[in-house]
Amino acid sequence: MVKIADLKVGDVIKIEFDQITRELLKKYAKSSGDTNPIHTNDAIAERARLKGVIAHGLFSFGFATKLFEDYLNQGEFGELIDLNLEMRGMVRCGDNLITEATISKIEGKKVTFDMKQTTITKVDIKDKGGNIVKQFEAGERGYVSEKDIAQGLIHEKEVSEGILTYRERMATHGTAIIELKE
Amino acid sequence: MRKNAEFLMKTLAGMEIPGEARINVRARVIRAFAECFGITDPKYVGEIDEEIIAPKAFANSFTVKSFYILIPSSKLTLPDGTQRDFLLNPNKLLHAGNRYNWEGCVPVRAKDKLRGKGKWSKVWLVEKNMTLFAELLLEVRNQNNELVCKVTTIAAVRAGGY
Repeated sequence: MVKIADLKVGDVIKIEFDQITRELLKKYAKSSGDTNPIHTNDAIAERARLKGVIAHGLFSFGFATKLFEDYLNQGEFGELIDLNLEMRGMVRCGDNLITEATISKIEGKKVTFDMKQTTITKVDIKDKGGNIVKQFEAGERGYVSEKDIAQGLIHEKEVSEGILTYRERMATHGTAIIELKE
Repeated sequence: MRKNAEFLMKTLAGMEIPGEARINVRARVIRAFAECFGITDPKYVGEIDEEIIAPKAFANSFTVKSFYILIPSSKLTLPDGTQRDFLLNPNKLLHAGNRYNWEGCVPVRAKDKLRGKGKWSKVWLVEKNMTLFAELLLEVRNQNNELVCKVTTIAAVRAGGY
C-alpha cells in the first residue's frame, strides 16, 4: 500500500533492466511504430556514425512508466499523471538501464519525483597483468569516447574474473508526478 | 543556415499542423508493447481483447505514429511562394526530450480509435553548434473525444537538417 502519510522527501524507488538486446529493439520498433533503422540495423547505424544500433529515444521512458505502475500496483494506489524527461545519453544493447526516482515534493495527494536514468556499459575485463580476458560489445565496437574519459565516466571494479572497466552515464533526467488515492 | 533557422523561428512557432493522425489501437500491439518492458499484469496483457487497457508506456507508440503522420504534412511557405518541409534532412533529427501529461485523461483501450492533433510551439537555435530546437504539442483523444494524453516533444535538428 502506498499512502501519502508514509512518504517523505528523499525516499527513492528504483528498477534495473539489463536485457536490452537487438531482438528486443526489433520487437519494440514493430510495436511502437518507430521503425528508424538506426535502432535495428547495425550497418545503417554505422553509416550514421553511431558505431552500432542505439535504443529508441522513447524506449527508456517505458521503464520510467513501469517503475510507477509497479509502485502504484497498476493503479490501485494512484496514477502517474506527468512524466517529463530530457534525453542526455544513448542507450545501447548490453547496457544495464537503471531508473531511479527520488521524492522532491509532496503537495496534497500529489508527489513529485526527481527522475534519473543511468546506463552502466561494460567495456572489458582485464587480468592483473592488464590483458583483456573478456571484451563486451562496447569494447569491441568502440562505444567509449575520449569525451567519456575526460568527463570521468569510466570506472573500474574488481569482479571474479579480474578488473571490470565500465562507463556510467546519464541517459535521461527530469521529473515525474503521481497522484495518490489516499 | 542561419537564414533558414531565422525563417523557421519566425514562421513555425505557434503554427497548427494541418490534419490529424488516426491510430487504431489493436490488442495484440498493446500486448507486444507491454512485453517489451516485462509488463505481465493481466490488466494490460489479458486474453480478452475488450478488457485490456494500454500501459502508460504505450504513449510512446501513439506519439511516434502521430508525428510520423503529422510532421510531413507540416509545409511552410517561403517568401517567394514556394513550399518547403520543416526537415530538409530527416537524418539530422534527434529526439531531445519528451513530456507526457495524463491529468484528466482516460486510459487507452484495445479497439480505441485515437486522433492526434499537433501544433508547433517554441522554436530556438543554439548558436554554439547551430542546432535548432522545436517544441511540438500533441493532444490525443479517443473516439468519444475524451483526452487520453497531452504530449510535448522537443525535436533537435542538427546543422544541415533544416
